[in-house]
Amino acid sequence: MSEFEVWATATFRQSKIDVNPSDLSLIELIYTAAIRQLEALDRIDLEKFPAVGLDLRHAPKPS
Amino acid sequence: MSHPQDWTLRQQSEALRHGELNARELLDMTIARINERDSTINSTPVVFNKESYDQLNQAPAGPLHGVPITVKDMFALPWRAARNGTTADLIPAGASGPYRNLRDAGAVVVGIANQHELGIGTTGTQSGYGRMGNPWNPERCAGGSSGGSASAVSARLVAGSLASDSGGSTRLPAAYCGVVGLKLTYGSVPYDGYFGAATTFSAPGIITRDGSDARMLAAALLQRPLPAQSGSGLRVGLIRDPFWDDVDPEVAAAGEMALRATGWHVSEVQVKHLELAGAAFLSRLIAEAGMPTNELLATLSVPTRALLLAGMLAPARFIPRADRVRGAIRDSLAKSFHTVDFLCWPTSPAPAPPLDDPHVVIPSGRAQADLPNVRQTRLANLTGTPAISIPVGLHSSKLPMGLHFIGPWGGEARLIDAAEHLERVTDREFVNLTPPIAR
Repeated sequence: MSEFEVWATATFRQSKIDVNPSDLSLIELIYTAAIRQLEALDRIDLEKFPAVGLDLRHAPKPS
Repeated sequence: MSHPQDWTLRQQSEALRHGELNARELLDMTIARINERDSTINSTPVVFNKESYDQLNQAPAGPLHGVPITVKDMFALPWRAARNGTTADLIPAGASGPYRNLRDAGAVVVGIANQHELGIGTTGTQSGYGRMGNPWNPERCAGGSSGGSASAVSARLVAGSLASDSGGSTRLPAAYCGVVGLKLTYGSVPYDGYFGAATTFSAPGIITRDGSDARMLAAALLQRPLPAQSGSGLRVGLIRDPFWDDVDPEVAAAGEMALRATGWHVSEVQVKHLELAGAAFLSRLIAEAGMPTNELLATLSVPTRALLLAGMLAPARFIPRADRVRGAIRDSLAKSFHTVDFLCWPTSPAPAPPLDDPHVVIPSGRAQADLPNVRQTRLANLTGTPAISIPVGLHSSKLPMGLHFIGPWGGEARLIDAAEHLERVTDREFVNLTPPIAR
């Protein structure tokens, strides 16, 4: 088992989620690609992206 | 007399109201047509042979009185649980909010519209009911996740269908099948009994054959009038990169030709931080995909199960950052509506790919269709805005292409004005295209 597969299996076991071992390689592929994309969010300047309420039903209030 | 399912939804409604068409006969003929025509496209795997007549007997005298529609498997019905494209009852039977609005307008639910499993996919290649075929070529994808809604309307099985849209799931199948797909503003209808209730992206949508039908069905769903105004003289904003540049050249050319025909004022606009839209969308999407039971996981297809499980492993630290990005994108989009009425680009970057190989080839390379598809449509889901896809002709592969408009919050009527204007200036050439299965 790869390092990822060991970690994922243990994490799912802790959450009582049954995982088919044959799914793990695809899960790793998807997870790795997702994290690569999500890491762009780690690099944002929080000063430029203030926390705001998201009322998705309406236009945002003018900033 | 031609078959009434070859008519538009508005024509059916008017004929019923004027006594030129009998509602029971319409229902009989609709069920017969589904039985006769659906085997190759699998758009409507469940037909309500009894319940639809029960509904008709009780249907109020609303604007859709007696008009048969299908409903995506994401919405609970009083006699049937919502399964969300799986084999399990996931939301118990009951009158979901969107169903109630359509019922109160007099519509009759004749069947369940097939969909991509759990709504996680834009191709329609995975479903507990079996995959969906495209009426233009049953070996091609109908799209997703609302593939059954779009293929049923395109194949003239019904004139309208209730769909939903969490990342393009109404608009993308509409483009693939050559019909109109309208995503409503987030939260504009009651969400009880609807899978979208658990997400910040999903909104009900509708699939129809033209803009006039979209107006009628959307007004019923929203329970407010959507008055028609002139669609001429509108101001359209384009964002070239990547929405026009990274698409099949024929798709871009068809969209540009349609835009030129409208006479609208076209300008380029900028929405800030779109380079982060993918990450912001993905972060929330995988967090909101839900926590399925082990029993459900065991029934899912391998790709859907792997997507869900991979999402569960993603760190939560991304979510508040994603929401900050989302706020900034919403702010910038709102500012763009000070200078244009709507934004516009092709709906799907390429026509429907083969069911057996759902990949597309676009200028940036060969890609699994979901990725560039959602790139084209997710802005409306990130921001909560309404958006519409309208047909703009056939690709050389003899498959439909769609053009996509995103409007301001609550701006459904204006989007439909735009769709109807485009239909008018093109003499309905594109909305009247009929797939081989329906000729």
